Amino acid sequence: MKTVMANRRWIKENPDLDTGPVPTETCTSPQLFELERERIFRKSWLNMGREDDLPEPGNYVVRDLAVANTSVLLVRGKDRKVRAFHNICVHRGNRLVDGEKGLCKGRFVCRFHSWAYDTAGQLTWVSDEANFYDIDKGALGLKPIAADLWEGFIFINLDPHPTETLAQYMAGMVQQIHGYPFDQQRLMCRYRVEERANWKVMLDAQNEVYHLPFLHITYPDFCPLNEQKFSRIQNFARFGRHTVYSVELNPDHKMTPVEEIAVNANPRGGEVHPSMIGWFDFYTVFPNFCMLFLAGTYVTYNIWPIAVDRSVWEVSLYQPATDKPSERFAQEYIRCRFRDLLQEDASNHEAIQASLNSGALTHFQLQDEEIQIRHFHKEVRRHIFGEENSASAIANNHDTVELRLK
Amino acid sequence: MNTQLPAGFSDLEQFAQWVLPTSTERNRKRRTGSMDEINAFYNAMLPRMEEILAYLDQFSLQEMPQDVRRLMFLSLSLAEVTIAVELFHEPKVTGGCDPERFVVVRELNP
Repeated sequence: MKTVMANRRWIKENPDLDTGPVPTETCTSPQLFELERERIFRKSWLNMGREDDLPEPGNYVVRDLAVANTSVLLVRGKDRKVRAFHNICVHRGNRLVDGEKGLCKGRFVCRFHSWAYDTAGQLTWVSDEANFYDIDKGALGLKPIAADLWEGFIFINLDPHPTETLAQYMAGMVQQIHGYPFDQQRLMCRYRVEERANWKVMLDAQNEVYHLPFLHITYPDFCPLNEQKFSRIQNFARFGRHTVYSVELNPDHKMTPVEEIAVNANPRGGEVHPSMIGWFDFYTVFPNFCMLFLAGTYVTYNIWPIAVDRSVWEVSLYQPATDKPSERFAQEYIRCRFRDLLQEDASNHEAIQASLNSGALTHFQLQDEEIQIRHFHKEVRRHIFGEENSASAIANNHDTVELRLK
Repeated sequence: MNTQLPAGFSDLEQFAQWVLPTSTERNRKRRTGSMDEINAFYNAMLPRMEEILAYLDQFSLQEMPQDVRRLMFLSLSLAEVTIAVELFHEPKVTGGCDPERFVVVRELNP
């Protein structure tokens, strides 16, 4: 992609995003957080990791979703299909499976009264069955959650009747990323970071590169800067609720001595796959899933709200599978540098949240390089307040919000 | 357990405390060390890296003798401390959060 350092004015192609300040209230209001819980997290397709997390029939993963007050059991059945269930025994409501992951060789057995389910969720055993009244095992079974795959990523939807299929939800992005060699990449590491910050404060901080030359000692010159030393994204596109922005690598980026060794040891690390737009593409999949493609590496973020001012940031780093020690060294270098960069961000997230909690700042000021954030907050508000009410909601009218909650 | 590095790298034996199998341990070692200690390790490793990587590449990550594996972990520690030496000029991430809060829930090893 040709690098253009002039002011881009992405707003011209996206006039509906408005140019006014954006309210901060969704980052601090417990009432609005409750609305997000109901209208975003219980209604949207949510990423639960990758298909490779469940390689064999019987492999399962348990994910506790505080934002939906539920525990989700993901399991690959004997037919190799990945299914999702509420992790709850239908007899008296006990939590069915403990632990984070494992292999179910036969059945999931509830420790309370030994009711048992197969990996397709069918109830296969009721102890003392004859002493129940008219029980129909075939009609019971684990409570299913809608689950589907997109490019090997597992998504669930907690709405008992999702209004869109996953394919519809992801429309547009399918063409964009299709062909990326996900199957040649493997999970190198995953971090879990619990922060005292709203989930959107964390996501917004990642959803722009304007801050890079200022905040980051780790990568001050990663993306090209104009003569005033300011960043310019090279692409911004919207796919329904989702967005992507791209930047090119700064040709004048100064490598350090060990960085140079690592780059030379890692020829695949510089490969920009044809499915990529720039040298670095950042996708935000509404609401809380991000995919970052760097040459040779991709990273995912799942940002899980716990409370209005507490969230968990899950960072998964994927790199090409290798058996070669020098390449592994180079990958470790990338991993350490990236982790340190995220630690620079993490302290910042909490500083922002602590400040916002004061209530002193009612609106964010956003420039053209932050148009992704503008789109994201518009989507959040559209989901919370509804299409027809989002205009008045953007006016930041607390009375309107309280009225609607009644 | 073999506590030696491969022949030809015995001069690096003085840095044996940097032979650590997990990234969490390597990161802790970096953060609890002094810059003098970190610089000494970095300065000894940097001119040897070409030779070290060429040596390691005679083996596969899956089938490494114990002494070669120790050299592998030593080089992974260089990847860890490099950032402190070349960018932060102090052991910790300048202005960063407490690194213990980045809990490793999965990792490849090595």
